[in-house]
Amino acid sequence: MRSKLLALGVLAASGIAMARAPAQAQPAAPSQITIGELYASSGPYASISMPVYNAFKMWVDETNAKGGVQMQAFGNKRIPIKLIAYDDQSSTATAATLYNQLITQDHVDLLIADSGSVLTSVGVPIAREHKQFLFDVSGTGAAFFSDDNPYIALMADPVSTIWPHYISDYLNDEGYKEGIRTVAILYSTNDFTGTQAAALKGFFERDKKVKVVYYQGVPTNTSNYTVLINNIAAQNPDAVLELGYVGNDIAFLRNLQDSGNQFRFVFTIYGGTEKEEIEKNVGVSAVANTFSYVPASNYEYKPEIGMTQTEFRAAWEKKYPSGSGVAFGANAIYGYMTGLVIQRTLETTKSLDQMAIHDAVFALSGKLKTLDGTFELRKDGAQIGEVTPLGQLQPAGKDDLKLVAVYPPDLANGKAVLGK
Amino acid sequence: MHSSRTRRAILDAAIATSVVAVMGIARGVYSNELMLFNFIMFLTLSQGLNIIYGFTGYLPFGYVGFFGAGAYGFALAVMHLHLPAFAAMVCAGLAALVLSVILLPLLRLSGAYFAIASMAAAQALYEVIANPDLENVTKGPYGVSLSGVFAPAASYYLALAILAVTLMLVVWLRNSRFGMSLQAIRDDSVSASMAGISVVRGRTVAWTLSAVIAGLVGGVFAWHISVFYPDTAFDLSVSIFATVFLLFGGATTLVGPLLGVFILYGVYNVIGIAVPQYFQFTYGALIVLLVLFLPNGLVSLLTSRGIRVP
Amino acid sequence: MLIGAVIAGIFFGLYFTLVGLGLNLVFGVMRIVNLAHGDVLMLGGVAAWALFTSLGLHPLVSAVLVLVVFLVAGLPVYYAVVPRLLRSRDSEMLSLILFFGLSQMIEAVTTISIGATERSLPPRLMGVGPIILFGTRLPKAWFYSAAASAIAVLAVYFYLYRTRLGTLTRAVMVSRDEALATGIDVNMVSAVAFGISLALAGIAGVFAPFIMGSITPNMGVAINLTAFAVIVVGTLGNPLGTLLGGIIYGVSLMLMQTYLSSWANLLPNLLLIGVLLIRPEGLLGRKVRRA
Repeated sequence: MRSKLLALGVLAASGIAMARAPAQAQPAAPSQITIGELYASSGPYASISMPVYNAFKMWVDETNAKGGVQMQAFGNKRIPIKLIAYDDQSSTATAATLYNQLITQDHVDLLIADSGSVLTSVGVPIAREHKQFLFDVSGTGAAFFSDDNPYIALMADPVSTIWPHYISDYLNDEGYKEGIRTVAILYSTNDFTGTQAAALKGFFERDKKVKVVYYQGVPTNTSNYTVLINNIAAQNPDAVLELGYVGNDIAFLRNLQDSGNQFRFVFTIYGGTEKEEIEKNVGVSAVANTFSYVPASNYEYKPEIGMTQTEFRAAWEKKYPSGSGVAFGANAIYGYMTGLVIQRTLETTKSLDQMAIHDAVFALSGKLKTLDGTFELRKDGAQIGEVTPLGQLQPAGKDDLKLVAVYPPDLANGKAVLGK
Repeated sequence: MHSSRTRRAILDAAIATSVVAVMGIARGVYSNELMLFNFIMFLTLSQGLNIIYGFTGYLPFGYVGFFGAGAYGFALAVMHLHLPAFAAMVCAGLAALVLSVILLPLLRLSGAYFAIASMAAAQALYEVIANPDLENVTKGPYGVSLSGVFAPAASYYLALAILAVTLMLVVWLRNSRFGMSLQAIRDDSVSASMAGISVVRGRTVAWTLSAVIAGLVGGVFAWHISVFYPDTAFDLSVSIFATVFLLFGGATTLVGPLLGVFILYGVYNVIGIAVPQYFQFTYGALIVLLVLFLPNGLVSLLTSRGIRVP
Repeated sequence: MLIGAVIAGIFFGLYFTLVGLGLNLVFGVMRIVNLAHGDVLMLGGVAAWALFTSLGLHPLVSAVLVLVVFLVAGLPVYYAVVPRLLRSRDSEMLSLILFFGLSQMIEAVTTISIGATERSLPPRLMGVGPIILFGTRLPKAWFYSAAASAIAVLAVYFYLYRTRLGTLTRAVMVSRDEALATGIDVNMVSAVAFGISLALAGIAGVFAPFIMGSITPNMGVAINLTAFAVIVVGTLGNPLGTLLGGIIYGVSLMLMQTYLSSWANLLPNLLLIGVLLIRPEGLLGRKVRRA
């Protein structure tokens, strides 16, 4: 008994000694860096998850083709990446198990969450509990971020309350000058679009210029908007903002065209962010002249690391030709951009310790410029860098639309054209 | 005669005890705690479903409604009443109990009507809880965060305790006069009532027991996972999994649902981790084959040969 | 707004009559619940999308093709699955599980082959611009789908009440055992009913991109729940009941969207529970089942 205790004591002492000793000798470099990721090949979140996953795989292949990531922590040696990815099929129960699997069984060095808030949500407490840093790709839920949890950072999607402020700024500023006085807001009742709608309503009420005359939520699986559009038309608003998921926006834009109603300003989220998919599904004429966010997939930021948007897009189309079922769009950019953040993190981190990873990620804040714009984190890990200008889908030649950034003036590359 | 019945009861209890012991020890051996927790969750849910389906023949497809009610019962108690976790668990059970009483009239329906109506009820409850108009109460679609009471070890052992109680309940039902009379109602309600068995009382008791079990599991799930959305708490696949596990093993028995969970959920996790790309297809095909070739469950391989299965 | 919602609801509801019609037939004849009904509908939509993108076929042409192919495909599926299922002790319950498994397989195969993103057909195929009825603007596609639905209801009605096979089908609906005893080829009758049901779902699927904007491999579950509400509110086994059920669903959904939009999804569920508890035989039904 006593000898055992003694042995333990010696072990503990040497452990402390090792921890205290400055890293004189380079620690042995691992043969590979394992990255764990979840994706959803089926179910409601597949269409936002698969582009992220495919794009991230592109980054892994690109990196491994060069021999891996060059890590300062291991004497600038190139270390290859091993990706362990599981399919949660859009089920949160399965996702929870798999997050745990990646942490406790596969002992991954880095952990990436699945897309969207719902599938990310279960990973947040698990990662925190196991003191594993979570690379949150696009889970914007407000409940995820708190100052006492250092184990999370949001990569791409800025928190939903930040996104929409250019819409209200534009309408209250240039829109007001053009005679826009009233706005209707129709949103899908889920975390992502609900918070944007509430934020917008707050902005309009604060600024007291454009008046909200219609503010209604509809269930997220609403697939017909004919009566809703008729009801909105009865209020005769100058501007209509519809905030929904891809399926909602498709149905809304189609029904709007079918109804023949005209509004001076129509906004949808995905008309711009998933431009290709919306155009394919509703036709060019239904989406022409509507407004949307200008995501990185339609805006040429000057990246300081990785491919430009044009190069990335070409690489994407080579690897995933159209018809492969996974569309190019903002989510593809998010996936690739997550890879770039990880690359810089690995290059600069002091070790693979999770707090060191945290420090390395946060050290990038405000300094990293990718094809997705500037990467900037709030203290609690929420993303605040990526600004999404307001854009308009303006006709460009026959049967083609160009997403032109129209607001704010310093980011604009065109002028908004309001309907009569 | 009497002693053989006692012996059966002891065997049943021994099986139940060893399952609980195994799941308790497993936590020290295997570190994917959530997977073990999910096992406990489905072991309990499929036995809870066994109480209503195995003993009365009613199959509530919307069983997840009680689970969700429990999860939100727990969450609301923590958020608004600031109760400690164990007290909030009582609210979880109560929420499911109240829901089961409200839904008592559904027991007038039979067969598929009952199954579908219960599913509609679960959906309706989800629509209410996830509605943004109730944001101040339930947080609506924005999800709840209970990180203040987060305690993975305590919640794991509480889940284990709920499993233990549920298994003992099933053991009791299988070996008691009350359980026998329930089975008599299932097989022929007219004769049973003529034999002096209170059909309504029997069904009501089984229904509320089964609901409270699901509510408690929902509550402990909320505690263990601590951050969740209404979509998580009312995920229809919870019902479907519990049902499939129950039917695969064989209803009315104690070991049937246990085998169902250990084998099918085990396979599910293995497929999910080993061959994720054909996951959904493989699982679907497995279910189809199961219903076609083993409609009375795994235990029917033995019972059809006249062997008693615990 | 009130009149607009009612008119829109009638047309929209007619589409859901078409959606529920096949489900009703299968439940009436075989006492099984086809939880894969919504997925068959999705396959119809995928077929229309594939035929248009590869061959440029107009969806109304595709509808005819889908009708024939799905009808014929239903026969082997029936014989492979249903007779064996009906031999089990609790086939009504087990059918829920079995067809859930089938729906998972269909969803998986579709996702693997075309991906999980939204697919649709150009709106112009059904004509762009509204038809204005009593001051309410309705999409042209709603008229086509309502017409298809009306034709389908009449055809099913005609089949059940004016053809020999239909008479036998009704005999099976009343009692499978008695029909068997009187020497009716119950399996053949049921197989045809199963095929018709798939064909109806398939046609509804062809219209789905126009009614719901787009289709995705995982749309089936939501469709099923609505379809259940529609057929239960109407009456099982009676196509006219499904007509009524569809219209009630459509009108009340549009009224909800107008006056209480965020609660609109609560409606089909409450409708279903309410009707089951108050009048389990459906609005048009005589007392035909024990409940």
